[in-house]
Amino acid sequence: MTHQIVARAVADGRSKLREDEALALLRAYGIPVPDFTIAESEEGAVKAADQIGYPVAVKVISPQIVHKTDVGGVVLNVADAQGVREAFRRLLEGVKTKAPYADVEGVLVQKMVPRGVELIIGAVYDEIFGHLIAFGLGGIYTELLRDFTMRVAPIDEHDAWEMVREVRAYRLLTGFRGMPPRDIDAIVDVLIKFSRLVTENPEIREADLNPVIALEEGRGAYVVDARFILRPS
Amino acid sequence: MLENLLSRFKGAVYPVNPKYDEVELWGRKVKFFKSVLDVQEPVDVAVIATPAPTVPKVLDEAGRKGVAAAIVLSGGFAEAGNAALEEQVVAVARQYGIKVLGPNCIGLFNAFADFDTVFLSSERAGRPPRGPLALISQSGAVTAAIMDWAARRGLGLGIVVSYGNEAGVTVTELVEAVTDDSNVRVVTLYLEGFRYPGEARKLLEVARKVAARKPIIAYKAGRGRTAQRAVKSHVAAMAGSYDMYRGLFSQAGIIEASSVREMFDMAKALAMQPIPRGSRVLVVTDSGGLAIQAVDVLEELGLEIPELPESIARELKRELLPFATVSNPVDLTGSATDEHYKIVLDALLPTAFFDMALVITLVQVPGLTHNLADYITAARRYGKPIAVVNFGGSEFVIKFERALEDNGIPVYPTPERAAKALWALYRYGEVRRKIAIAEAAAA
Repeated sequence: MTHQIVARAVADGRSKLREDEALALLRAYGIPVPDFTIAESEEGAVKAADQIGYPVAVKVISPQIVHKTDVGGVVLNVADAQGVREAFRRLLEGVKTKAPYADVEGVLVQKMVPRGVELIIGAVYDEIFGHLIAFGLGGIYTELLRDFTMRVAPIDEHDAWEMVREVRAYRLLTGFRGMPPRDIDAIVDVLIKFSRLVTENPEIREADLNPVIALEEGRGAYVVDARFILRPS
Repeated sequence: MLENLLSRFKGAVYPVNPKYDEVELWGRKVKFFKSVLDVQEPVDVAVIATPAPTVPKVLDEAGRKGVAAAIVLSGGFAEAGNAALEEQVVAVARQYGIKVLGPNCIGLFNAFADFDTVFLSSERAGRPPRGPLALISQSGAVTAAIMDWAARRGLGLGIVVSYGNEAGVTVTELVEAVTDDSNVRVVTLYLEGFRYPGEARKLLEVARKVAARKPIIAYKAGRGRTAQRAVKSHVAAMAGSYDMYRGLFSQAGIIEASSVREMFDMAKALAMQPIPRGSRVLVVTDSGGLAIQAVDVLEELGLEIPELPESIARELKRELLPFATVSNPVDLTGSATDEHYKIVLDALLPTAFFDMALVITLVQVPGLTHNLADYITAARRYGKPIAVVNFGGSEFVIKFERALEDNGIPVYPTPERAAKALWALYRYGEVRRKIAIAEAAAA
């Protein structure tokens, strides 16, 4: 049942999916991701951006770089072709200075998602529990306040709704301080599909969908960044 | 242990020990067998308390005899670093198909069958009165302490199982078996950690089946939050062991308690009282201060304290003392009488505005008598759960509390504990409702 994207990585002896592979895997399971392409040259990046439509985000792809923002490896809200060119150059400069050891395989050009509430959805494999799905609001909610919920996979719609309602910060999703309510149906849908993804690909040992941007009711939820760690072969 | 079994168990008991022939014990002559194989009659359970290295052989003899179940109290196995010895026990059990409880446990106490393998004297470790609560525990020491405590407080425990190293029968199998017992109405679980891969999923499936019929309350000892692996991703780094158990309990419809004491506070209420149909609480009190504490905790737990409907409030105002506060909480003040409580409960609890009642009765005030216990008990007829807050040390207080609990009204010494108990009832109601909805959808 393993998806070929995962099977191929495992066969290659890799323990991690590349950014574009991660996004493609999500897409294969019906999980909304903004349009994206990998480009290996400045002109390639411009062509990709023109095709995807502005504004775009441009992110460096390198197996050695774990935290892109630390090395200036992410440029957001690029509005036009010239901006793409500048972003491309700036990315390579930044990486050369701050991570000279890194192999740059290209850049990810990705459609910008409108502002929304950031969520984190993830999975982890445990000997005793098997695969677990986790959900929380992004940033300080999970990182500092440890406000997240977990469930044993596979989960159904009831489980997903409960996970969402159980976080202490839940009210941020139902409308708070002038911000209209989020598309919780879409969030629940992502959780269910992600559960299926993880269950069908048990080679996955850890996974982060971070951030997942939750837009207003009816406007959906999008995974902007994803990381999958695979079982060592 | 032998004394317990010989003096109380109604079935046949065959003591086995090659060192003895016949010994005068506790006023009678007790015949010892050299081996279980020397016993003529069939044997259902072998309770083994011999030194660890002898257990595989003893179990083997039991297997040859055809004994189907064994309780191994002996320690000195995997918990003492002797994994190989434990594996031997497992192998023998597997060979003969013997269900083994333990090793390294205090075994089984079943009040309904007068079967008690707990090897502590009743002086040090009291035995609880027979009741509808069951305890499944991973720790022998904690089990004995709970039994003694339950004995002193008159808390009725019917079945207590300590499963020790879990080398044979698993905690999930025990949950299933104990819940099946018709004498058991509430199951409590003291858990330190699962032993086997896949155990969590198995417990989830069993608990989901069981939860519809009987409430399970669990206390997870150890709030270990550190993930013990070299991890690369955010979620994996933040997800500690305890977070997984907490999620599992929620998913399984198992009510989680934050302490052993709380577990039994909740179990008591769940055994005695009906499930509320909603979350609205009526608070009646003779102490404003305690009522405020109750409201704080109830609200924190997500329960509601709705305002009294106008018309009823006006009527009540006429019948109660002029300085009583007729809102929710209804504060009858220190001049409260038994009658006042009765009036309030009869006027408000049966209405559609309330689902349960938290009644604070500081009976030190002069207007309250023993009749109050009867009035509160009578309010059971409304079919809505009631929890009482009552404390103090006098004979009167103790008698009052006993009168209530003998009639199935749970009493707690603090508003927080009473509020949590009501919450547990509400939570179990939600668990049942959720299962019913899921089943209806699947149909």
